[in-house]
Amino acid sequence: FTPEELQRLYGRFQDLEKRDPPLGYITRKELLNIREVAVNPLGERLIDVILQDHGKVSIQQHLFETKRKYSSFKGDTNKINFRQFANMFALFRRDKAPTNLHKREKKLLFLFSLYDRNHDSNIDRNELIEILKLMVGGNINDEQISTIADHTIGELDVNGDLKITFEEFCATLSRIHIDEKMSMKFPS
Amino acid sequence: MMITTAQVFTIISIICAPMVGIAALVLTLAALNLSLGIRRLYVQLLALIFDYATKIKRDKEISIDSNASSDEPPTPLPPSTAKNKLAPTLEKKNEDNPAEKTNSSIHSFDRRSQDPLFNSALLLLYNSSLRDIIDCTRQGLEAIVDDDVTKRFTSAEEMVVWNLLTRTQQQHEYFSMRVTLLWFLGFCVRYFILFPFRLFLFILGVLWMLGSAVFLQYFPAKDAKLRFGFYINIVLHRILSRVFSAIITIHNTEHRAKCGSICVANHTSPIDVIILSTDNSFSMIGQQQGGFFGMVQRTLSQTANHIWFERSEAKDRHMVAEKMREHIQAHNNLPILIFPEGTCINNTSVMMFKKGCFEITEATIYPVAIKYDNRFGDAFWNSSKHELFQYLILMMTSWAIVVDVYYLPPMTIEEGETSVDFARRVKAAIAKQGGFVDLEWDGGLKRALPKADYKAEEQRKFYEMLKTE
Repeated sequence: FTPEELQRLYGRFQDLEKRDPPLGYITRKELLNIREVAVNPLGERLIDVILQDHGKVSIQQHLFETKRKYSSFKGDTNKINFRQFANMFALFRRDKAPTNLHKREKKLLFLFSLYDRNHDSNIDRNELIEILKLMVGGNINDEQISTIADHTIGELDVNGDLKITFEEFCATLSRIHIDEKMSMKFPS
Repeated sequence: MMITTAQVFTIISIICAPMVGIAALVLTLAALNLSLGIRRLYVQLLALIFDYATKIKRDKEISIDSNASSDEPPTPLPPSTAKNKLAPTLEKKNEDNPAEKTNSSIHSFDRRSQDPLFNSALLLLYNSSLRDIIDCTRQGLEAIVDDDVTKRFTSAEEMVVWNLLTRTQQQHEYFSMRVTLLWFLGFCVRYFILFPFRLFLFILGVLWMLGSAVFLQYFPAKDAKLRFGFYINIVLHRILSRVFSAIITIHNTEHRAKCGSICVANHTSPIDVIILSTDNSFSMIGQQQGGFFGMVQRTLSQTANHIWFERSEAKDRHMVAEKMREHIQAHNNLPILIFPEGTCINNTSVMMFKKGCFEITEATIYPVAIKYDNRFGDAFWNSSKHELFQYLILMMTSWAIVVDVYYLPPMTIEEGETSVDFARRVKAAIAKQGGFVDLEWDGGLKRALPKADYKAEEQRKFYEMLKTE
């Protein structure tokens, strides 16, 4: 990020955080406050990925901030500070440099984790059905969704374990230019 | 040493005399609708000072930048264009149709046949839906970084030229002694010279309003009462506009709203009413508020017929529409002033117009575009940040309020046009004249989250797209 972009991003982070005095992190509620995210069908999923995968705070810090005992710690931190925020968005910065394979893989991993919420490195049938349901809402009935899911797994599953692994996922997307599609311009 | 009361009195009168003198001058000018042009000179002087301050700042910045090496050249684009490029539109899903399409069209997903054509079609469907998932994700991310709606409800972004008010500077840095000195001088001038004077004028204005209300109540003749009321009203608002050092430029006065019509304008602050009323007298319509403003509303109601209502009352809406109709039909009633956005927006965009007043088909609508120049004072009222009084004080301690008012030619609803379309048409005209961004988002989003059916709408659109693949 250029200094200006980072400053802008920090300004945005501060605008999003509604706490007074600001403690330096954003939670789920604040991200949901953004109207366009609330309206986006994948909005909540996206927030889940951002907060859980990229917003991990160390257990001690979390306990210190919330003043709870270790025994009641549920492992769900649900917040993200600015460094993690910026690091995550740095992934999506439109690079003038030629395609960085490492970055591409990270982007794919981000997308993969949209589906794979139990973090077992596999997308199973249920997770696929969940995402499809999020996208179409009540418009297709469950039977139809199951059919689509089954057929999709049938087509994409190479090693026959009835789940989509990360490699199979990447193979499907190899035709799509992930880098371009998942890049954004940051205001500066 | 004891100061006797006589001495105290003389001191006070010495201080007050020039104030009273100037106040009297201002009042006569207001009554006669003349202007000495002092305010314009003042504003020009201010502009020069701001440019000077910004120049100093820029020189400092360049010297700092050349010390730290940076790869990217400084972007000369003003902030607004960069933001518009980034604004995600939830409409643009059509760009990403897959390049390869099968010839067989799929009408329902119930067919459980195992034929390969179906499977590959389904796979393509999955691919295209994958693309949409990717797009959705990207749009979501973009929205987190910068979205269209939140920024309409906060004061507009940092200006290129700093106007020596700390409230507009995002990060206050110490640049140079000269700038800080200028700022301090400005602070003193604004708070200790301009503010008391303006406060005094404000009190005068309120007294005039109360006085005229009482006066008109006892006035016998009905017609003369209306005419007097008209002029008194205008004078009142001219006094009030001088309270804020408002410099108003009105364009196209031939399209001034006439009796028995509706005047529609974009809403940025409560001062809008004052500004529009310096040129024309209106019947106001709006949400009944409490406190000081409520008292103002009640007083004004006595001199002319205004309509106040409670937005949350459902049956109130019918009553309001009926009242509006009656009001318009009585031909020498003042035009109704209404702000269809329903809330204050920060003067960079125009949000969805509520269709309520556009449903009255027999009325002509006179649109008005109000554009503030932010350099001398940001007129936007962020009601979640400031209370009304706080806001007024902020206004009274700004340099000045420079505003352009554009009267637009009257519009009426056309054959076969729904009120929603008509509202959109008027909104587009106002947006075009004032150079605002025309947005369809509801101003009510400022306070409430979007209703669940927006999300369902998006989902339905996605479904339709899947079906047509």
